[in-house]
Amino acid sequence: MNPRLKRRPRRQRPRLITKQHQHRLIAGTSCVLLGISLGLGLRFQASAASANEDLCREIISSQAVLSRQQLTQLLTVPERENREAIEAIAKDPYCTLDEIAVRAGVEAERAAYPLAFDPDTWLVVLYEDEEYAGYDVKLHH
Amino acid sequence: MTLSYITRRMGPLVGGALLMLAACQSSPIPSRNITVQQTWELQVGNQIGDYRIISGLGDITLDLDGDPVQIPFDGEIQPMDEHCVAFTSPEVPAYLFRLCGISRPSLGQRHRGHVIGRAERLVFAAFRKEPDGTWALIEPATDLIEQFLME
Repeated sequence: MNPRLKRRPRRQRPRLITKQHQHRLIAGTSCVLLGISLGLGLRFQASAASANEDLCREIISSQAVLSRQQLTQLLTVPERENREAIEAIAKDPYCTLDEIAVRAGVEAERAAYPLAFDPDTWLVVLYEDEEYAGYDVKLHH
Repeated sequence: MTLSYITRRMGPLVGGALLMLAACQSSPIPSRNITVQQTWELQVGNQIGDYRIISGLGDITLDLDGDPVQIPFDGEIQPMDEHCVAFTSPEVPAYLFRLCGISRPSLGQRHRGHVIGRAERLVFAAFRKEPDGTWALIEPATDLIEQFLME
């Protein structure tokens, strides 16, 4: 018998991992990785949102957001202005924060407004003795 | 031929690596400069003869004896003057806290409870933003200072 003929069937035997298998493996792995990254992304997003929620002591108006126009108007209000000057522009805040005393003998009240066009960004304003003391921006991205 | 092949294949790799390095490198935190409303001559950072003033009117000096100092809110720690840091938090608008005497302070954006460092003598001052953009030294509440300390 010719040894060449003997070897032939061995060559034709299907390989354990064919090209098709490889493609499937790559596609599967990509899907799993994509899933993991999506899951992680959502988780981070959720934790960012809850981090902002943690700031709140009491929800005042769950639908409250600040439009671009309101934000622009708010920024023109000078510090030491009456509290009503802010509330006339922004109405009810989303929530209030814990009261704190920064200055000796004065309680500070704080209110937070999410931005309508960027809800993960909040404008925090601080009042002392019915007086507007200032604002800051809290980012959660 | 081989060289061009290598550069063609390695070019994007090297570029990517450099980009990653650039992204990882943290830029130095800029120093915080404020104009204090009170125009007192004897202020932290000024000199009397050859000596630097390390605490002035409006500063509270605490004998910490090497104990840690923490931040009570999420916020940013920046270098300020010499031997001092500024702490500001978006949760406490219109205020800035100056802490001097902390050795090797950790700077940057940090979360509540983060330890800035340890101090033998902590010199604490609180400033409130004025409508003209200056910062006025104010008397801080005892409760507030307490929150910077770890009992």
